[in-house]
Amino acid sequence: MTSVSIRIAAANGDGVESSGALLGKVAALYGMEVFGNRGYQSVIRGGHVWNQVRIGDEKLYSYGDKIDILVTLNQDGINNQRGHLSENAIIIYDPSKCNIDGLNGTTYRLIPIPLLDTAVAAGGDPIMRNIVAIGAILKIVGIPMSVFEGVVKKMFSKKGEDVIKSNMKAATDGYNYQGVNRSYDIKGDGKPRYLVEGNVALSLGAYAAGCKYYAAYPMTPASGILHWFAAHTNKGVLYKQTEDEIAAINSTIGAATAGVRAMCGTSGGGFSLMVEALGLSGMTETPIVVVESQRTGPSTGLPTKTEQADLLFVMHASQGEFPRIVMAPRSVEEAFYLTADAFNLADRYQCPVIILMDLFISEHFETVSGFDVDSIKIDRGKIADQGGASGRFKRYELTADGVSPRSMPGTKGMAFIAPSDEHNEYGDIVSDILAGIGEHVAMRVKMHEKRMRKIATMLKNESVFVPVVQNEDAKHFLVTFGSTTAVATEAMLALNKRGLSVGLISFNYLLPLDAKKTKAILNGKHLIDVECNFTAQLAKVIMMETGIEIPDRILKYDGETLDCGEIVDKVTAMLK
Amino acid sequence: MPQNYSSGVKPIFCPGCGDFGVYAALTKAFQDLNVDKDNLLVVTGIGCSSSIVQAFGCYGIHSLHGRLLPIAMGAKLANHDLTVVGVGGDGDGYGIGSAHFLHTARRNIDIAYVVMNNETYGLTTGQASPTGLKGYKTKSTPFGVIENPLNPLSVAISAGATYVARGFSGDPMHLAELIKNGITHKGFALIDVYSPCVTFNYLNTYDWFRSRIYKMGADSHNVGDKGAALKKAIEDEETNYEKLPLGLFYKTDKPTYEELDITLQNGPLIKQPMPTEDRIIELLGENR
Repeated sequence: MTSVSIRIAAANGDGVESSGALLGKVAALYGMEVFGNRGYQSVIRGGHVWNQVRIGDEKLYSYGDKIDILVTLNQDGINNQRGHLSENAIIIYDPSKCNIDGLNGTTYRLIPIPLLDTAVAAGGDPIMRNIVAIGAILKIVGIPMSVFEGVVKKMFSKKGEDVIKSNMKAATDGYNYQGVNRSYDIKGDGKPRYLVEGNVALSLGAYAAGCKYYAAYPMTPASGILHWFAAHTNKGVLYKQTEDEIAAINSTIGAATAGVRAMCGTSGGGFSLMVEALGLSGMTETPIVVVESQRTGPSTGLPTKTEQADLLFVMHASQGEFPRIVMAPRSVEEAFYLTADAFNLADRYQCPVIILMDLFISEHFETVSGFDVDSIKIDRGKIADQGGASGRFKRYELTADGVSPRSMPGTKGMAFIAPSDEHNEYGDIVSDILAGIGEHVAMRVKMHEKRMRKIATMLKNESVFVPVVQNEDAKHFLVTFGSTTAVATEAMLALNKRGLSVGLISFNYLLPLDAKKTKAILNGKHLIDVECNFTAQLAKVIMMETGIEIPDRILKYDGETLDCGEIVDKVTAMLK
Repeated sequence: MPQNYSSGVKPIFCPGCGDFGVYAALTKAFQDLNVDKDNLLVVTGIGCSSSIVQAFGCYGIHSLHGRLLPIAMGAKLANHDLTVVGVGGDGDGYGIGSAHFLHTARRNIDIAYVVMNNETYGLTTGQASPTGLKGYKTKSTPFGVIENPLNPLSVAISAGATYVARGFSGDPMHLAELIKNGITHKGFALIDVYSPCVTFNYLNTYDWFRSRIYKMGADSHNVGDKGAALKKAIEDEETNYEKLPLGLFYKTDKPTYEELDITLQNGPLIKQPMPTEDRIIELLGENR
């Protein structure tokens, strides 16, 4: 496998993000694999931002530990990125903006290109200096200009012929600049791929599942979902921006009660505000999907950085007990399928389903060859739509599997009250004047048990609530959940190359967990817990559910993603 | 045969509670309008007044304290063929739910919102609410309220509500008219109701209200004049609560949220088709 990691670094507002996306799209269209990520801060202009695009000829699981090609538009890029450079990195820089005296005598290959002057000479905006650099990169990695032309024509079709021409000129000048030579041999297979961000994959999954209503209050890193829904309100979905996350989730419950598939999304801070209503969804057995995309730390924390420290929080948020489902996609592709499944599970078990994302999986992008849309089947669960019930409708009928048929407003003769209070089979509340009276004490027990029975039904009917095992015959296993799984896969492959017998056990559905089957999978294996938090929350869940302790841990909580090399080194040291 | 809007469950109000009058007025409004029971959704919050939903035999949501408006909004946006009526109390709507009150009004969603205002948190055994008048002594304010009372009418008018009225639970026939017109009004309608708490509020009693309220005549107040409406809305404050006008304060015709939302131009969300495979693949294609 050959791959190259390219990092474009500059100030916020310099067009770094769109340049990374453009480069990624060109490579994806050429039939290469792409894995990209970006680093940024809570500023709109200034600061120091980067976008890293890794291009390879085989499936990629990370954006790469080290930078093979650095494009820097300013001095910060040289100063801040130096520690990330691979030994023989190529540095493309604008000599009018960067002082490279400190790099004399290093092993790096320096390519000075007057990016700004070339962009302006091409008849373009100074922002087009990125395009000059992209032209040079295309030459270095071996992608023909014709592929670039196709992407640019599509991307700027609305901006007119002049913009397309000046972009082509700027890129061609970079491509042909003296000293720029092909240095990598990466082959595209000619099969164009899609370049998809995690939040977009999730949104598409929701859309495919027939989600009609999405409510949110803007919050990084979940905002990509609201941007997607807002941009597609002319395609049969309604996006409602609310005054706060409390209104977001409550309006989602209102929409779901009225009968549409509904979702809300936020990060940990907003989820904190949603917690009370999460319990309302549990109590009224209203199917909703809630996205929680984690960032670093409590309170405001590091708003533009990643972490996996909300697992125990989302599993236990709210007073009281009620069934809920927690899932954490392990890749961009899986974000699509899991989200579609979330809506079926919510409808089938009439409970909240939480999709636990994090900044990394929400905002990084990967190539996908396509989504198997045909595999998405919509199951709305038990619906009482026949009408004409004799007597009052028992919305909360005490059933053997815990799931009671629900009706939607508008259905004749099937009216009921969805109560946040404890209630009987009709939905009449037993909390006010009846609490403590014999038969109603019994009803509380029966109704609570009915709801909780849904967990056993889920475990009986669904096969997903167990971890996924790779390299079953290995001696040692990395244990992960959600986004960390991808880089752990890469680390596993690297460790295997070193001759170490390492497998991977990864969790995508975390609650409920089939404790018996999970225990059987984990028992007797040497496990190494790998996650991005301080307290080893997945290991705690495993301990809680199976009694199995995992003393060996690789934990990271600096806000950055785990590096493949970091895992490989630590595991190698552990196994010595 | 007229529809029966009763579930058979009795409200939990104390004997003499003003909320009985609101229950009667709501029932009469539903009956007079012959609202289709299967397409009627009553959403309440939490508190004495919010327990009223149990008494209705239509679809209902007995939701969380202060959250009835976002829930009602979500339901209305999901199926705007429904008649959605929000019913709650002053602590619920003007205290813990005040942000939702402002923003739902601003959106002009077609919801009628009836607030039973008794200046008191009753179900928690009598603390002053945000509408409690200065000097009002309760368990939480043993030396009297020192905060300024919230004026829900002027807030609603300023925030963008397009129908703002006030009734008195001691006059359910008058109140029923205000509620009826609020339900048929296209847009966000607030009907604030003086609804005495006979158990905990010894300041704002039936007698106290009866000696101060008066009905605004159609000839004396122009309901389409926002400035005049605001002036009427603060008359209570300006007269040191000696004069309390009742009736319709403000009414204007503006497009509702449902009328403006691009998605809802194709009909109620719930009736819109699921996306086709081709459409999903087309949207995936945006990422190429």
